Amino acid sequence: MFLRFVAESLRRSPRRKAMTVLAIAMGTAVATAMLGVMLDIGDKMNLELRSLGANILVTPKAPAASLPEAQIPKLKTIFWQLNLTGFMPSLTEVAEVGGSPVPVRGVWFDREYRTPDGRVLRTGARVVNPSWRITGLWPLKPHECLAGAAVASRLNLKPGSTATLFGEPFRVTGVLQTGAEEDDQILTELADLQRLTGHSGQVDSIQVAALTKPEDEFARKDPARMTSQELERWNCTNYVRSITHQIEEVLPQSTARPVWRVADSEGRVLSKIGGLMLLIAVAALVAAALTVWSVVATTMLERRGEIAIMQATGATDRMIASLFGAEIAVEGLLGGALGVLAGLRMAHWVGGTVFRTGIEIPSILAPLSIFLAMAIALAGAYPPLRKSLLRAPAIALRERI
Amino acid sequence: MYWTFVRGAMRLRARRLLLAFSALAVAAALATALFSIYSDVERRVRSEFSSYGANLIIASPAAVPLSAVTLARNAGAVAAPFLFTTGTLSGQPVVLAGADLEAARELTRFWRIEGSRQGCLAGVNLAQRFHLTLGTLAELREAPCRITGIVSTGAAEDNELVLPFDAVAKLTGITGSASMVQVRAPGERLEEIRAQLARAYPQTSVRIVQAVAETETSVVRKIRVVLFLLLALILVITTMSVTSNFSELVMERSREIGILKAIGAAERKIASLFVAETVLLALASALAGYVAGIVLAGYIGRQVFAVPFSLHVQPFVLLLATAITLAVALSSTALAGVSIWRIQPARILRGE
Repeated sequence: MFLRFVAESLRRSPRRKAMTVLAIAMGTAVATAMLGVMLDIGDKMNLELRSLGANILVTPKAPAASLPEAQIPKLKTIFWQLNLTGFMPSLTEVAEVGGSPVPVRGVWFDREYRTPDGRVLRTGARVVNPSWRITGLWPLKPHECLAGAAVASRLNLKPGSTATLFGEPFRVTGVLQTGAEEDDQILTELADLQRLTGHSGQVDSIQVAALTKPEDEFARKDPARMTSQELERWNCTNYVRSITHQIEEVLPQSTARPVWRVADSEGRVLSKIGGLMLLIAVAALVAAALTVWSVVATTMLERRGEIAIMQATGATDRMIASLFGAEIAVEGLLGGALGVLAGLRMAHWVGGTVFRTGIEIPSILAPLSIFLAMAIALAGAYPPLRKSLLRAPAIALRERI
Repeated sequence: MYWTFVRGAMRLRARRLLLAFSALAVAAALATALFSIYSDVERRVRSEFSSYGANLIIASPAAVPLSAVTLARNAGAVAAPFLFTTGTLSGQPVVLAGADLEAARELTRFWRIEGSRQGCLAGVNLAQRFHLTLGTLAELREAPCRITGIVSTGAAEDNELVLPFDAVAKLTGITGSASMVQVRAPGERLEEIRAQLARAYPQTSVRIVQAVAETETSVVRKIRVVLFLLLALILVITTMSVTSNFSELVMERSREIGILKAIGAAERKIASLFVAETVLLALASALAGYVAGIVLAGYIGRQVFAVPFSLHVQPFVLLLATAITLAVALSSTALAGVSIWRIQPARILRGE
């Protein structure tokens, strides 16, 4: 009997029911999309900030020593390996070019390498420094090089011209302008420079780009003075200093230091953006909840007549309340489910439009949103329902007619 | 007569209108807050990036005149000169950097300094190599000094000895020029200041530090696009809820509409009654929402960017918020008002 009532009510006046479901769906969709984007925006912005360049610099511990190139893939064995988005080993030697000394830096431009667990990944200057602007092309073959903008204008080098480095001709494929030290250097493939200077297999620095958590009070503590519990928590948080700590452990003759210029500014920007988006998300969620609430409340007001008739024919308040409650719950569930589907699509669309990559959404979000939709719908229905039940049916019925 | 109708309708349906009013006011408040943040976010984000240090470098193979510092400062930028030379520390060659760290505070905010900023600072790698700690004497052949601070930046400074600018200038015998001038120009005037400096000192090269300039621009753009999309979503759901509210309103008043039609009112005239009501409602909600919105924006500014709470009254934002609220309200009325044409007076009056 009860189920038949609910089913009948849903079958009658389908247009109004559809409106309610649609409104709940819209509210849920906005809330889900918003939460999805907000929960992921920190990671997305972190990736975006990688265009500042490497935030960790690894150098040999002893002065004038070098690091073995063969050891570099060991970086990919640290706990936070998935947060290392790229690294660029380099070796710098001074060459005589056109009668003046010019630092020549051998780097990985774009290199495939094999991690210790057997995966093949790409890294190099193009990954670590996405903001490098090149007039011309990236070098692809041995005996090709990039000229820094200042060097190029001083020595009159252009894409296509040839420079003699350590007695061998190199073709300039492009001119690099960064505004930093690279403007005064010539960049070649690392293997070329190692061979020409007799430093095969050696590098003198590694730039590492890592996704990190902004530093807080706890991050600044000295790991040497922590309790073992604190140390574990510190190591299991991707603070820039816990990552450098782990790098030093896998590359024993090295010193890894945060590049504070980059690490500081990204930390500040990230924490500000996080806070901003959180507050906006809260405001928007309130708006979505109000929408669902007001739509449900309006439809309940409309149905005062029905309630009065049920009361007049002897239904108890409990029966009426559970009948309407079940109906609203079904509408909330349906609207919530539709809304979550739409919301997830919206979040992906925002991710695609703004960040050119999809948004990763925790799977808990879907059931949570549906539950919230139901809860808010029921909460919206409660006050008008209670009010109608408290009124004498005769008055409501007379008003209706 | 017309306005008597409008006034009467508003007074008699006050409760119902309150729901529509609050929905519109919430939309207006969010629109105001988002627009205020939208116009402010560039300045805020750029000021956070100031911890990156310089975004312009004046360098030269020869020397950069110190007057470049004055010129940059007059143009509204922060600027400081740096001078580099080599010295001999305990028999080994080291790089000596001359910088006035007090004047360059804005440009060196990311330097981690243990000890004092003034005096003789050792880079953290250099300190390790020569076993220097705070208070030890650095056996610099040119001018021995006591270490007052240890500096760590993760860049070249880690291997240098940083001395006061004048001390290095005396060692090198150079006066009136520097090896390099670092400049932090306001992001939106970066190109203008670069051009001005390049014109004044053609023999130097004035470089924009691409990494920070680009990142700033892209972060600001991304935040703005996200804010914009959020605003669009919020407006869509508000329109939705106001529409459902208004169509109920029209339904509820179908008897009155039927009577009006029966005594000869044109549908247009009846619709214009609703429009007038909507416009009044929207204007009131826009005003209330605007006030709430600037308070919200002030609160967000204080919470997130730690600027003192302040209310920015921008007429432009008020206009925009009002226009948006009106647009939402009118499109809801249009969607709901269609049914006025469908109401048949005869059936209504018979009581169906």
